[in-house]
Amino acid sequence: MNQGNGSIHAARSISRRRLLHSAAWAGGAMATGVGSWVIRPGWASADGPIKVGVATDLTGAIGYAGNANANVAKMVVADINNAGGILGRPIQLFIEDTASNESVAVGNVRKLIQRDKVDLVVGGITSSMRNAIKDVIVTRGKTLYIYPELYEGEECMANLFCTGPTPPQQCDDFIPWLMQNGGKRFALPAANYVWPHKLNAYARKVIEGHGGEVVFEEYYPLDQVEYSATVNKIMTNKVDVVFNAVISPGVGPFFKQLHEAGFGQRGGRLACVYYDEDTLSINAPSEIEGLASCLDYFRAVGKEDAASERIQTEYDEEFPGRFQLSAGAGATGTYRGLKLWQAAVKEAGTLDRDAVAAALDHAKIAEGPGGPAEMVPGKRHCKMKMYIAVAKGGEYQIVSQSDGLVDPKQC
Amino acid sequence: MAGEPAASLACRGVTRRRAIAVIPVLEVALLAIFTMLPVVLQDYLTVFVTRVLILALLAVSFDLVWGYAGIMSFGQALFFGVAGYSVALLARDWGVTSIFLVLPASLLIGLVTSLAVGGFLLLGRRAPTTMFVALGTLTGSYAADRLARGWYYLGGQNGIPSIPSMTAGGYGFEEGVVFYYLVLVILVLVYLVCRFLVRSQFGLVLAGMREREARIAFFGYRVQRLKVMVFSLAGAIAGLAGGLYTFHEGFVWPNMLGVTLSTQIVLYALLGGAGTLIGAVIGVLAIEIASFWLADSYPLIWPIILGLLLLLVIVFRPGGLIGFLLSERERVGFFGRPPRREGQHGAA
Repeated sequence: MNQGNGSIHAARSISRRRLLHSAAWAGGAMATGVGSWVIRPGWASADGPIKVGVATDLTGAIGYAGNANANVAKMVVADINNAGGILGRPIQLFIEDTASNESVAVGNVRKLIQRDKVDLVVGGITSSMRNAIKDVIVTRGKTLYIYPELYEGEECMANLFCTGPTPPQQCDDFIPWLMQNGGKRFALPAANYVWPHKLNAYARKVIEGHGGEVVFEEYYPLDQVEYSATVNKIMTNKVDVVFNAVISPGVGPFFKQLHEAGFGQRGGRLACVYYDEDTLSINAPSEIEGLASCLDYFRAVGKEDAASERIQTEYDEEFPGRFQLSAGAGATGTYRGLKLWQAAVKEAGTLDRDAVAAALDHAKIAEGPGGPAEMVPGKRHCKMKMYIAVAKGGEYQIVSQSDGLVDPKQC
Repeated sequence: MAGEPAASLACRGVTRRRAIAVIPVLEVALLAIFTMLPVVLQDYLTVFVTRVLILALLAVSFDLVWGYAGIMSFGQALFFGVAGYSVALLARDWGVTSIFLVLPASLLIGLVTSLAVGGFLLLGRRAPTTMFVALGTLTGSYAADRLARGWYYLGGQNGIPSIPSMTAGGYGFEEGVVFYYLVLVILVLVYLVCRFLVRSQFGLVLAGMREREARIAFFGYRVQRLKVMVFSLAGAIAGLAGGLYTFHEGFVWPNMLGVTLSTQIVLYALLGGAGTLIGAVIGVLAIEIASFWLADSYPLIWPIILGLLLLLVIVFRPGGLIGFLLSERERVGFFGRPPRREGQHGAA
C-alpha cells in the first residue's frame, strides 16, 4: 500500500517528478520521436493553462497510429501556444496511453478526467475503444470528447464530436468512380467486426443503387492470413472490383495472393477505404499497383493545396520517422478536431462545456490537412473534402476530388 | 507445494503451538488500510482501488480452486465475463439495474455456468488430469471470447457501452466512495466465507486432494464431486465480481471473457502466493499498483518492466510475494476445531 499512499505525495510534487522524467525521457525522445507526457506551455497566464487531454494507443497493435495522433496534437498545441493561446491562456497537453486495451484505457482516461481535470479529451482509435471511454469522459466525466478516426457512423451521443470520415463520405463518390474505372461486379471480403459490417451494408446500398452487383459479401476471423479460397472465388466469378475490408495481419497476404492469381493483370480493381500512406508499405508496390482509396487526405493533396503542404512539411520536420501524418491513423481528424475546438472556444469566450459544445456544433476552419472543414449543425459530425487516390509505384496519385465539402449523413 | 509430507498434515491438529501468525496480521492490516483509504485518497484513486478490489474477488476465487483444491482453472475469466455480459444485457434490454436483482443474478449465472463447465470437465468416467482441466477451461474462455466478438446482439468487437448505474431504490451507485465501500463489504464477506471453508474439515479434505488425490479417494470421498463443488463456488464468486465490474466500469467487451484476463488472474495468485487467500489479494494489489505507476512513469516500456518483475518473483520465490513473510508451516495451516484432549475420538 505504500505505493498507493506514495502516489498522493507524487501528485503533490508532480511537477518536480514530471520534470525529472522529462529530462530522463529527452534522450529517449530523440531516438523514438516521443516526448514527455505532460507538455507545459512556455508561458503562463493569470487564469492558468487550458487543459487538453489526448488518450490514444501509444502501445499495442496500433501504436503507430496512436503515436501519429499524439504527435499531431503536440504540433497543433505548440502552434496555438506560439500564436498567443486561446482567450489569452496557453494550452497544457496531457497525453495518456490507452494501450490498445479497453480495461487499461478506462483507468488512464479517468486520470485525465478526475486527476488532471482536462477541458477536452481527443482520442480513441477503434470503435471499441470509443465505446469504452466515452461514458468515462462524457456521461460520468461531464467533459467534451472529440473522436478523430474514420469509423462506421451512428455515434450520436451528445457532447461527443466525430471529426473523421463516415461511410457515406467514403462511398458516395467512390463507388460510382469504381464502377467507371473497374466494373459493376463487386466482391466485399471483410474482417468480422462492426466497422466492416456497417461499411459494407452502406456500400451495398450504393452499389445496388447505381446498378452494380455484389457477387459476394464475406466475413473472416480477424487473424485469418490464408485467403486462397477467397481469391479463387474472386477469379472464377469474374469480379471486377474487390472492395476490401480485411485488415492487418490478413490484408498483406490477401493482396499478395490476389496479385499472384492475376487479378490486376486481368483488369481487376482493388479498393480499400482505410488505405493511407502507412498501410501502403505492407505490400510490395507491384502487388497493389492500381489500388484505389478514398480518404479526407493524402500526402499528394499538398501539390494542389498550399495549407496541406505547409502542415505536412511542419509535421515532417518536427517528427521525422515512422509515425506519419496520415488519414487512416486518425491524425488528420485529430488536427481538424483540435482546430475546430479552438474556433469554438474563441467564439464561446469560455471553457464551459455546454457553451463550447454549442459553438462547436457549427464551428468551421478554413485550412487543414485536405482543406477546409465544418461541423454539420445538430449532427456532431464533420463535413470535409474527400479525395480518391490510386497507388502507382508505391505512391498515391489523386485522381478525383469532391466538388465541395461532403456531408457525413449521420444522426 | 507437492513436497509437503502427509504425516505432518495429520499431526497438525494435535500440536497446535503457534509462533507469531503472519496471515491474520496481514489480513487485519489490509482491512484497516482499505477501510481508511477513501479518506486519504483523491477521488480518482478511490475509483482505481475499487476496480482493484473487484479484481481481488476474482483472484480469491481462483485461489480457492487452484491454491486449495488443486484444480487449474485457466478460464476463470469465462465466469466473470458471462455474468458481466448477462447483467449488462439485463440492464440494457430490460432496464433491470436494482442491486438486489443484478448482484444475485450475476452470482447465480457464475454458479450455473461453472457448474456446467465443471460438470463437463470433471465428472467424466475417468478422473481428468490437471492438464486436461487447464486446457478445457482455457478453451472455454477462448471460445466465449470469439463468440462474443462475432455476435452482434452482444455488440461484437465493440462490446456494450453506456450501461446505466446500479440502483438501490432511488439511489444510483456511481463510481466513487459509496461504490468503494460496497465492494469492500462484499469482498470481506466473501473472503470470510472462503476462509472459514478452507480452514474447516472440508478444507482439510481439499488440501488432501491437492496433495495426493488417490489417498482421499481411498478414504471414500467422492473426489470429483467435491471438486465440482469448489469449482462452482469459485465460479459464483467470479460471477459476482463480473457483475460488480460491469456496473463499475459501465461497459463490457470481449476481453472480459478471454484468455488475457484468465492468464492475468493466474498471475495475480502466483505472484501473491497461492493457497493463502490473502496472497491472491496481495498479488492483485502488487500487479495493479505496479502497472498503474509504471504506465505513468514509463509509458512505452511498462509492460516489459512488469513482465520482468513477475518473472523474477516467480523464479526466485515460487511461493510468491507472501513467501517473503510466511513460513511454509503457516501456509499449510490448521484445519477445523482443535480436538478435545480427553474422552473424544479423533474425528479428524
